[in-house]
Amino acid sequence: MITARSLTKTYGATTAVHGVTFTVEPGRVTGFLGPNGAGKSTTMRMILGLDRPTSGSVTVNGRRYQEYSAPLREVGALLEARALHPGRSARDHLRWLAASNGIPRARIDEVLGLVGLEAVADKRVGKFSLGMGQRLGIAVALLGDPPVVVLDEPVNGLDPEGIRWVRTLARELAAQGRTVFISSHLMSEMALTADHLVVVGRGRILADCSMSQFIAEHAASYVRVASPQRGEVADLLRRSGLEVEVQDQELRVQGLDAAGIGELVGSNGLLLHELTLVRSSLEEAFMTLTADSVEYSASTPTGIPA
Amino acid sequence: MTVTATDTTVHLDPDRHIPGVRSPGFAETLRAEWIKFWTVRSTMWATAMLFLLGAGLTVLICATNAEWLASSEADESPGSFITFGMTFAQITAIVLGTLAVTSEYGTGMIRATLAATPRRGAVLAAKAIVLVGTLFVAGVVTALAGYLGGNFFLDREGIGLALSDDGMLRSILGSGLYMAGLGLLAAAVGLLVRHTAAALSIVLALVFVVGTMVMLLPGAWGEWTSKLMPGNAGASIATPVSFNPNLLDPWVGFAVFCAEVAVVLLAGYLSFRRRDA
Repeated sequence: MITARSLTKTYGATTAVHGVTFTVEPGRVTGFLGPNGAGKSTTMRMILGLDRPTSGSVTVNGRRYQEYSAPLREVGALLEARALHPGRSARDHLRWLAASNGIPRARIDEVLGLVGLEAVADKRVGKFSLGMGQRLGIAVALLGDPPVVVLDEPVNGLDPEGIRWVRTLARELAAQGRTVFISSHLMSEMALTADHLVVVGRGRILADCSMSQFIAEHAASYVRVASPQRGEVADLLRRSGLEVEVQDQELRVQGLDAAGIGELVGSNGLLLHELTLVRSSLEEAFMTLTADSVEYSASTPTGIPA
Repeated sequence: MTVTATDTTVHLDPDRHIPGVRSPGFAETLRAEWIKFWTVRSTMWATAMLFLLGAGLTVLICATNAEWLASSEADESPGSFITFGMTFAQITAIVLGTLAVTSEYGTGMIRATLAATPRRGAVLAAKAIVLVGTLFVAGVVTALAGYLGGNFFLDREGIGLALSDDGMLRSILGSGLYMAGLGLLAAAVGLLVRHTAAALSIVLALVFVVGTMVMLLPGAWGEWTSKLMPGNAGASIATPVSFNPNLLDPWVGFAVFCAEVAVVLLAGYLSFRRRDA
């Protein structure tokens, strides 16, 4: 379990993380979602004791990270970018890490096999592709067989097969009862991996809820109704207390499901040509939620800057 | 690829949170730093260069100057030549010391290091021991090899030096001590500036350029600042007879040098402890 309490980090005049409080529970995958520059990596560095919080605290299973004498056996972390020396082989990298925490050498081959890097274990990591580097990073995270796993943007640079692999791995680790905390700026990825979401923007928490709750609350839906008797249908639905928006040739109705609307319209002897439930994607929901907190946004080419 | 090898349940050792049980200590940190140090090629290269420059140049200069040194025109002592190569071996000691720290910042490795061992003091101590140990041994071996090779030529002219001669053994051990001290100084500067090129420039300039330039300062000012500069204070221990007559006594100079290294190292440590990785 990871517990952050009023966690704050400022760099000079900039506040990267602003009084953030959240809990990452074991046994499920918690997605840490936010646009670039939202403070995800800074928060993760504070969890690992690499950056010192300006105020507030964060603990892992009740203790500050720095208090563990063998932290790799408590928390496995894939750090952003590659915390690797390009001249060292993958095996040597794992070797010094294992030595530092008293992890038996046999575990090195185990994790190399787990991430599928046995064949290139003795190659220098400078020659690795982005995807291989990520796999090595995940091997590092799993080296100490830790009950808590923290992965910062694990699918960056992976091919579709690798992405699916990380997804399966994360779910499996959670199913084993571990605490799994994964950051990403891709909602679509999180939708497939995470059970729980912590959404941040500009260093503040925008949402902290289960995935299904997030969908229910933030993914807007309406029923699209097309009819040759548009005016009458709209009147009818409004009289029944529904919210109706007339858009081009269609009506957008909120407040009742498609079946209910169909029955209502039919029982009043009106004709329908289309009746469809339209749900905005999670990606859109995420974009809407974080729209105000995107640090660098590009204007569309046709738009005239205000 | 499929995920196969993870266990089906989490094996939590019930004793794992109790301090003292299976908890790795400083020996593990030291071993990790040792592995890290020797698994990058720059270490082997720099150590080989240290030996080649240090021993090779000593032999070369002794071979080419033996006849002149034995003649009546000679106005220098053979003792100034017998560890001559160490002057250049200094550069590689500085490179090794710098890289031990700055390569970690340049590559982001420092985050992996501190995630594995959050006790920063222990990390620094382990790094220092690995550096000092390696450079001391390399320095002594190099100076000894240079002595054996160089003395072969001096002996032929009848001006050879015995290990029991005044300052000879001290300068061989002193070469190791001085190399180790330079490595530490470079590592400490590396901790302060966290950048390879910057740290290298600062230490090389301090030892090779500033140390010579301050001699141009007028009078006692020039004399004393020059004597106290780390490159001058520390170097006299590594040679039986210095070319530069205006130096502190070997052990006094080395003590001054050690104090200077200690101050920079302390500043480096405080910065390392306080700043974000």
